[in-house]
Amino acid sequence: MAMSGHVRVDQVSITFKGKEGPVTALAPTTLHLAPGSFTALIGPSGCGKSTLMNAIAGFVTPASGAITLDGTGISGPRPDVGVIFQQYALFPWFTALGNVKFALKRLGLPKAELQDRAMAALEEVNLADHARKFPQELSGGMKQRVAIARTFASGPKVLLMDEPFGALDAQTRIVMHRLLIDIWQKHRATVLFVTHDVDEALLLADRVCVMSQAPGRILRDYPLDLPRPRSLRAQAEVLLPIREEIIELLHPTSPHSRA
Amino acid sequence: MADPASPRRVRPLLAMGLAGATGLGRPLLSFGFILMLWFFVTAAGLVPEQIFPSPLSVWQAGVEMAENGTLATDLAVSMRRAATGFAIGSVLGVTLGLLTGRVALVRALLNPFLTLLRPIPAIALVPVAIVWFGIGEGSKYFVVSYTVFLTVWFNTHHGMEYIPEIYLRASRSLGASRQREFLTVVIPAAAPHIVAGLRLGVALAFLSLVAAELSGASSGLGYRLQEARQYIRTDRMFALLILLGALGACVDLLVRWAGRKLVHWQQG
Ligand SMILES: Nc1ncnc2c1ncn2[C@@H]1O[C@H](COP(=O)(O)OP(=O)(O)O)[C@@H](O)[C@H]1O
Ligand SMILES: [Mg+2]
Repeated sequence: MAMSGHVRVDQVSITFKGKEGPVTALAPTTLHLAPGSFTALIGPSGCGKSTLMNAIAGFVTPASGAITLDGTGISGPRPDVGVIFQQYALFPWFTALGNVKFALKRLGLPKAELQDRAMAALEEVNLADHARKFPQELSGGMKQRVAIARTFASGPKVLLMDEPFGALDAQTRIVMHRLLIDIWQKHRATVLFVTHDVDEALLLADRVCVMSQAPGRILRDYPLDLPRPRSLRAQAEVLLPIREEIIELLHPTSPHSRA
Repeated sequence: MADPASPRRVRPLLAMGLAGATGLGRPLLSFGFILMLWFFVTAAGLVPEQIFPSPLSVWQAGVEMAENGTLATDLAVSMRRAATGFAIGSVLGVTLGLLTGRVALVRALLNPFLTLLRPIPAIALVPVAIVWFGIGEGSKYFVVSYTVFLTVWFNTHHGMEYIPEIYLRASRSLGASRQREFLTVVIPAAAPHIVAGLRLGVALAFLSLVAAELSGASSGLGYRLQEARQYIRTDRMFALLILLGALGACVDLLVRWAGRKLVHWQQG
């Protein structure tokens, strides 16, 4: 258990069929995620972050290279690789509780235990009071908490999050960051977190990987060995220089752009 | 300078009056208007009564048919035919739609053929149905269920094609088996389209039933309409037409209500 959740992406490239022949969405990329680590992936829009994540999730097949989880190849979606989508992807025909139960069904639990475990998962994200509500009755932040509860309920070794808080306001985001870190520290899944927000990456991750313009590849890799909860102000000495560098990588300031 | 009767001033007033008429108000306003128009046109004697009967004689014809018992029998017979045909057609349509949506082989074998059948009007099928099933119940069931089937199949299949990919991705990465995915993700995700298809199916059930009853039947509302033509009883025809319209509207309301309960998560 201690060593599970090791993701290896080796020289993976991905192409899509375009109108004028194949389009490279991801240039050959190598990325290793240590078990239980929290990696943020940041890069310009369209550089292939979602594509890379979809490949690890088993939704798309790489054109070349290999992706393995604890030594075995990823050949399709599987419950030990959980995915959190920006659009939540909750089933609107189920209640919050029903959505969490959906993830637990495969375990074949007795009815009472299924119910208890689903409720416990919702309690973990402070949504026990809203268990009987349907997703469309919940706010964006609440929906994403249900999605987090649902994904953790199925016991993933790896958690892929594709701009999960991108649609939320700043206040809600702060709450979600705390909640995510709490739950992650409890469950210790290996997290890959895609974001376009540099500060979010610095506040959450053990490591920030910066991708290049499309077709993407990984440009730089910053380890962040800082205690949590973090704050840009309190840990300014370490974080601010990295922040400057990442912003420079993402938006290079050329002499021409000053005019 | 401004003309007080200019459309600029009148329009907001009219719009306000219409906005005030909500719920049942709007249809009642429209019906009342048409009824009055109808009354005045016939009372003015512009058209012979036998060609275009007055509201009163239509009402009397309706009462007459109700009292001699034909109305209730015809209504019951037609409703049973429509309901049976609808039940058969919709069960087949949903089942086959789920299959063509899910199983590539079934889709390849059936879709081009079924798509080719769709433009054939239901009425064109009546002669064939009569040869195959006679003028009894069989031919009515056949025409109605065939028409309902095609529409319900088409909508179900369409719904299956447009299931958001993200639901399937979520379901698979949460470890659902193909069977569980089908029952608890695919079917609910397609349900809004299926319900829309069933609603169209109900409307078409009435349409095709009357078509079938008009030629080759010995009972039912469509038959009674045809019979009224032979005696040039336009008053009865009008009564029957109004009944058909009201019946269709009631059933549609019922289906809409049931549909909203069934796919409660779909707003609008
Ligand atoms: N299903 C697809 N078909 C064709 N092209 C795609 C598809 N998905 C992504 N792409 C292309 O691949 C590139 C990378 O996309 P994506 O991974 O979504 O970028 P992002 O880093 O913004 O998440 C883009 O140019 C995009 O247009
Ligand atoms: Mg993306």
